[in-house]
Amino acid sequence: MADDDDKVFRALADPTRRFLLDRLFERDGRTLTELESELAMTRFGVMKHLRVLEESGLVVTRRAGREKLHYLNPMPIRLIHDRWIDKYTELRASALAELKSRLEESA
Amino acid sequence: MTTTTAQTTQVYQVFIKATPEQIWEAITTPEFTARYFHGARITATSDRYHSLGPDGSVWGDGATYEYDPPKRLSHEWRSLYDAELGQEEPSRVTWEIEPQEGGYCLLTVVHDELEGAPRTAESVSGAGWMMVLSGLKTLLEVGQPLVDYSGEQSR
Repeated sequence: MADDDDKVFRALADPTRRFLLDRLFERDGRTLTELESELAMTRFGVMKHLRVLEESGLVVTRRAGREKLHYLNPMPIRLIHDRWIDKYTELRASALAELKSRLEESA
Repeated sequence: MTTTTAQTTQVYQVFIKATPEQIWEAITTPEFTARYFHGARITATSDRYHSLGPDGSVWGDGATYEYDPPKRLSHEWRSLYDAELGQEEPSRVTWEIEPQEGGYCLLTVVHDELEGAPRTAESVSGAGWMMVLSGLKTLLEVGQPLVDYSGEQSR
């Protein structure tokens, strides 16, 4: 699963795929037909993009009767956030704390 | 991002390097849940899903709909941890554990039937489930909780 982050970043590095994620963020559980109607692209093209999103884990599909519904899964982005962004905010917070104590010492 | 009403069906999926039995235990026993689920002590049995806050107040209490260890758990969700949310209609949470290659499991959490609980839907959607599931993954893979809830007495 080491390459999971790579897949997420690759999936996000495309405006059409980000557009699809934004549509699902607005309203989840959409069919391919619904998503296709919002894009000037062939059904095959949209399917290809959705497949990349599914492989990265950013989109999860569930069957409801005869329909295949697409859901936005925020977990891959959250895990990248927890692993990376938190580290930076922690560093910044500790740097500020240190600056404060130094300034107060010298005052 | 545009503002939007929270989804009435929410799907969360995460890979966890653990056995199905470990994940099952982590979602059904209070000793585990207290370490990643906002400090809640959750007991899931074949007929009840019961959750206590760190201060001993009831955070959740509902029926178990499906109980199939270590594969599938589906239960009623009531947000009793908050007076306002607790008055909303109950919704449903379903956990699916599917073994994968390489010692991983795919855990899927579906929180649905949220039509009668819009505030609960909003509250669990933001950082809610993501925080819990990220914490569960960290606890099982690293052995340490993501957030230390041990000192937390109330929220």
